[in-house]
Amino acid sequence: MGRTSKDKRDVYYRLAKEKGWRARSAFKLLQLDEEFQLFKGVKRAVDLCAAPGSWSQVLSQKVGGQSSGQVVAVDLQAMAPLPGVIQIQGDITQLSTAKEIIQHFEGCPADLVVCDGAPDVTGLHDVDEYMQAQLLLAALNIATHVLKPGGCFVAKIFRGRDVTLLYSQLRIFFSSVLCAKPKSSRNSSIEAFAVCQGYDPPEGFIPDLTRPLMNHSYETDFNQLHGPARVIVPFVTCGDLSAYDSDRTYSLDLDNGSEYKYTPPTQPPIAPPYQEACRLKKNGQLAKEFLPQECSIDRVDKLSQPLAIHTLLAPKVEDNEINCSS
Amino acid sequence: MDAFGDYVWPRATSELILLPVTGLECVGDRLLAGEGPDLLVYNLDFGGHLRMVKRVQNLLGHYLIHGFRVQPEPKGDLDSEAMIAVFGSKGLRVVKISWGQSHLRELWRSGLWNMSDWIWDARWLEGNVALALGHNSVVLYDPVIGCMLQDVPCTDRCTLSSACLIGDTWKELTIVAGAVSNELLVWYPATALPDNKPVAPDRRVSGHVGVIFSMSYLESKGLLATASEDRSVRIWKVGDLRVPGGRVQNIGHCFGHSARVWQVKLLENYLISAGEDCVCLVWSHEGEILQAFRGHQGRGIRAIAAHERQTWVITGGDDSGIRLWHLVGRGYPGLGVSSLSFKSPSRPGALKAVTLAGSWRVLAVTDVGGLYLYDLEVKCWEQLLEDNRFQSYCLLEAAPGPEGFGLCALANGEGLVKVVPINTPTAAVDQNLFQGKVHSLSWALRGYEELLLLASGPGGVVACLEISAAPTGKAIFVKERCRYLLPPSKQRWHTCSAFLPPGDFLVCGDRRGSVLLFPARPCLFKKPGVGPKAITAAEAPQAGSSSGGSESVVTGLGPVSSLHSLHGKQGVTSVTCHGGYVYSTGRDGSYYQLFVHGGRLQPVLRQKACRGMNWIAGLRMAPDGSMVVLGFHANEFVVWSPRSHEKLHIVNCGGGHRSWAFSDTEAAMAFAYLKDGDVMLYRALGGCIRPNVILREGLHGREITCVKRVGTVTLGPEFEVPNLEHPDSLEPGSEGPGLIDIVITGSEDTTVCVLALPTTTGAAHALTAVCNHISSVRALAVWGVGTPGGPQDSHPGLTAQVVSAGGRAEMHCFSLMITPDASTPSRLACHIMHLSSHRLDEYWDRQRNRHRMIKVDPETRYMSLAICELDSDRPGLGPGPLVAAACSDGAVRLFLLQDSGRILHLLAETFHHKRCVLKVHSFTHEAPNQRRRLILCSAATDGSIAFWDLTTAMDRGSTTLEPPAHPGLPYQMGTPCLTVQAHSCGVNSLHTLPTPEGHHLVASGSEDGSLHVFTLAVKMPELEEADGEAELVPQLCVLDEYSVPCAHAAHVTGIKILSPKLMVSASIDQRLTFWRLGNGEPTFMNSTVYHVPDVADMDCWPVNPEFGHRCALAGQGLEVYNWYD
Repeated sequence: MGRTSKDKRDVYYRLAKEKGWRARSAFKLLQLDEEFQLFKGVKRAVDLCAAPGSWSQVLSQKVGGQSSGQVVAVDLQAMAPLPGVIQIQGDITQLSTAKEIIQHFEGCPADLVVCDGAPDVTGLHDVDEYMQAQLLLAALNIATHVLKPGGCFVAKIFRGRDVTLLYSQLRIFFSSVLCAKPKSSRNSSIEAFAVCQGYDPPEGFIPDLTRPLMNHSYETDFNQLHGPARVIVPFVTCGDLSAYDSDRTYSLDLDNGSEYKYTPPTQPPIAPPYQEACRLKKNGQLAKEFLPQECSIDRVDKLSQPLAIHTLLAPKVEDNEINCSS
Repeated sequence: MDAFGDYVWPRATSELILLPVTGLECVGDRLLAGEGPDLLVYNLDFGGHLRMVKRVQNLLGHYLIHGFRVQPEPKGDLDSEAMIAVFGSKGLRVVKISWGQSHLRELWRSGLWNMSDWIWDARWLEGNVALALGHNSVVLYDPVIGCMLQDVPCTDRCTLSSACLIGDTWKELTIVAGAVSNELLVWYPATALPDNKPVAPDRRVSGHVGVIFSMSYLESKGLLATASEDRSVRIWKVGDLRVPGGRVQNIGHCFGHSARVWQVKLLENYLISAGEDCVCLVWSHEGEILQAFRGHQGRGIRAIAAHERQTWVITGGDDSGIRLWHLVGRGYPGLGVSSLSFKSPSRPGALKAVTLAGSWRVLAVTDVGGLYLYDLEVKCWEQLLEDNRFQSYCLLEAAPGPEGFGLCALANGEGLVKVVPINTPTAAVDQNLFQGKVHSLSWALRGYEELLLLASGPGGVVACLEISAAPTGKAIFVKERCRYLLPPSKQRWHTCSAFLPPGDFLVCGDRRGSVLLFPARPCLFKKPGVGPKAITAAEAPQAGSSSGGSESVVTGLGPVSSLHSLHGKQGVTSVTCHGGYVYSTGRDGSYYQLFVHGGRLQPVLRQKACRGMNWIAGLRMAPDGSMVVLGFHANEFVVWSPRSHEKLHIVNCGGGHRSWAFSDTEAAMAFAYLKDGDVMLYRALGGCIRPNVILREGLHGREITCVKRVGTVTLGPEFEVPNLEHPDSLEPGSEGPGLIDIVITGSEDTTVCVLALPTTTGAAHALTAVCNHISSVRALAVWGVGTPGGPQDSHPGLTAQVVSAGGRAEMHCFSLMITPDASTPSRLACHIMHLSSHRLDEYWDRQRNRHRMIKVDPETRYMSLAICELDSDRPGLGPGPLVAAACSDGAVRLFLLQDSGRILHLLAETFHHKRCVLKVHSFTHEAPNQRRRLILCSAATDGSIAFWDLTTAMDRGSTTLEPPAHPGLPYQMGTPCLTVQAHSCGVNSLHTLPTPEGHHLVASGSEDGSLHVFTLAVKMPELEEADGEAELVPQLCVLDEYSVPCAHAAHVTGIKILSPKLMVSASIDQRLTFWRLGNGEPTFMNSTVYHVPDVADMDCWPVNPEFGHRCALAGQGLEVYNWYD
């Protein structure tokens, strides 16, 4: 396993590095746009949970490139700066963040809100699915403050046990809700994207960021836990047939004749939570347990400190002197 | 759910769940464990043994249990009954259980109460339950009638990652909430005004740089501990948290975990933390690590509980295992390293070698030829003898046996061997064996009857000395029995030896890494009529030919069988015979299970020790039947248990290159080594095994990717299957012969596991794990299922051949034999034999040597396997079955399995799909007056299914496979007979079934949640049009075709057509759904929500008419369902 092995296993990871995207997820947004023309006529776009910034990169090219196009990227974590993208380091559950976004748009609501955020998975599936649902609902909640009627909302979903509850909730706010999977998203991943078009909140709905949106629960007639009545929205595969297959392993020399050259990752993570622990581990400063050597029971016998120096300078003993006990 | 009324539908009920253990709690001497929605109650006795008392089923519906809270009893009496609040996700239920001396009974259970948000913590407050919810609010709930009494939010409605409730009344209730901003928020729900307006946080505490996953408060000392994503544990001095405005001071910041910390628990004198690195650490309150418990596999430890009175810690892992550890000490008295103070003016010279005679006598030899004895009971050194012929070069080995047989042997550089009785060193016997250096010495002991000493001299000659003692015990006799000759190599000496029971052969390992078999009594070979074991005489001419059978010839007897370089160039380190097998270890980091059949050594299975342990020095069989592996891990000596994945002993000895010795008796284990010119001794009383207890064995450490049922073993009443789990829930009719389904699972943890699933107990027994893969296992296929004694044998048992394949284009083939064994909990014994393996990159490398650089792509993953067998009912006919593999590089590859799986080679391939191929499946088509046809279907990520006719693939002159462009390359598979665009994206499941009309139903499920069902007709062209039968190509056509979009909300990863009228599908949306077929479109019948997330594979099989069908769902865990037909 060399440094190229991930390039072979994941063609989009490799292409992202070669094209300068910060993450392979840039292709997902590009393929979603191919299918749904998401950026058509969009002047103001918001990228929630933007770090490391690959979707902001796409938005800045597709929206920011047009005249008067504006892109605002919001994330709790710091993100390396991007040209043409206004960055807000803030919490999407806070009203102040919503106000700041509107302020950057000079009072105008956004045409498009996208969210590719996912919580750090814990591996406990029910917790992860809940956390992802909360993130999506928080994104939806702030979108209700900044999105213009008829606007579009795209967010990552995990298609797990309770995804139908999210569908039914999104249907309340949008005239069209679809589940889309770009070809660059792997078959083996449960990730998909909810593409919600035509923002149309129910009559009398007042956006309120002080109250979190709770997810729905199963109902006996409309969205059943066991029964046939479930809200499953139509599924759309995005990306044309000639697109690369994200599950396939490609050889390093792709068909288009270009020669392979290793490219390092575009943007390594900034200040991850485990930074300090890794530094300590690297320096051998993590706390260690006492080995029994250090708590000799036989007080009569004297035991000096572990003989580290002698270990290092152990004479090279010939193999035939090994004493193999039996 | 309890729909007995509509029994005409199959209704699936859960029989068995193996999921991460997410809730653990000690109540008195009982342990509560949450497994999915079920509560398991165990009894702990003082030995730390555990007996499952009862499974209280389905407490939380489709939620998983994350915690228990036992209602405190005013009288403190929880021995007879307890009221337990069980919570997880958004569900809460209260259950009252009586667990007096005799019996455990569920007295009452409340309704399942659904909260509006995730429950992070629960606490009993005077008969009600306070709950800390997901968006920083606190609810007071009456769990009996199910109504909310209070609902108080905080002003900061951030998402929480953990919470801790403190206090015994609503008035003093305090919540410490871990927010996503990495802060701790302390607030008081009771300070809310009557209108339940939001309450502002009293204090905000920051420190962690990652979210907080767990908290624990110790009221008696006013301490709070937090565990975080930043891999650290912090200890805070908080005083009484119920008092507002108190000072919070961080008094400890503990870094010790190498991954995220999931759980933390404060005890009166300790702090326990456990995390993603599968380590449970015990800290002092001052932040020093006192203990580290390692042994869980996979993604981490999810739950911890403590029994303070017994000082036990109990951990539950993602591997669904539960383990008990001793908090204080390593569980042993008398453990540690001591220096034996050899250096003294009265003992001249430097130490050269050390050995152990039993676990209480140490022998050492110096470079002036002095042999010394240290008796641990006397605690002093004594010189046994001094012989200056043994200065500068000396080997020293003590005889095996509990007390070392009272013998040791010395050898020098001039071919001299001295055998010394330890108690009477003056009776030592010298033997001049060789002209040159003695390279190695080893002993072989058969019972107490026969003791041999083997000495390797120059030129690969091994002298075999027979040692016997005079009846008086005062004298010993040493007689040279014979000489063996090792195969030529640069370093040509033996390293170890053992008798092969019953004692006709000696197994030896040599420095070149070969394992060799020699006749123990070569004289028997010369006179075939002598000895009862003369059957082996057939081997004699070949074996004796090199020596000529004459004593006068300098060379010796060659091996009758050898496995050349089994352990590679670093050499074999030990051979051990146990339970009918030979085990050899080597410095290649592996140990082999071997077996001698017809006088020949055969490798059975290669296994690796823990990571980084590249020098395995030996094996020991523990009294409880388990095995421990001895070896060196960098500069440490390690005793490692493959069963518990635990390093039982670690001695920082400096590595295995110096002289060392290990001895282990039931009373104690000892490890002696030379360090700093002195003898060091590590001793542990009570033998090798640590008394840590595996309360329940784990299954796989990571996701299960495939599951396959092999067959069923029927045990008669004489093998009465123990029914510990449901002593009182036996339904009438479930007794009788024990049916045990054998199921194999493959996992991302690189292992294949063989499981026994008895129909009567609802338990699962892991029989064995095969770990030959270097990457994840993704697919399994089974063929040749039979019984050990052939079709006529009525003895219970099962044999089968298995192919496993996965990442890094690796494939292994092994055979499986299950036989009854009354001594094991499962009543079964499982024997595995590795048959062959194949890797694409190796294949291509070989080609490169012969031809030119072709292609090296080891990153290809095998996604699915199918056995393609035309005449499965007539085994032995034809060249052997084909196995088709779906490959991630876009190929479908066909492998040929010959000689019952001992030869596996790549036959043909096609890149027809040009995309990652996800599934392959094969079936046969039969029609009257026609040759049976073998059809393979393959499906890829673009939603297309291709059909291939392989009927004549193996026939001579067939055109099914096109010859390759270069010899040595695989054949090409040509074009498929038919392709069907069944879905818009990847096909994740595929199954077929013949219909009564002679067609085939083909069903597939996709990533988009859709199902596709069609009828496939196989038509043969009229005979008159073709010249010969070999040229006939069937025409496949689709008759009627139905599609069900949105059948599931996620990938359909399992599909099975049970009958032409009934189909079952399983999806990642955790629904098992039945569909009615046959009247046009498939129609929904019913669905069941199951508990295993990310289901990757499903297998269903009929058990018998009384039991109905069984279905195994594998993903992040394993669940077994059954339904009556």
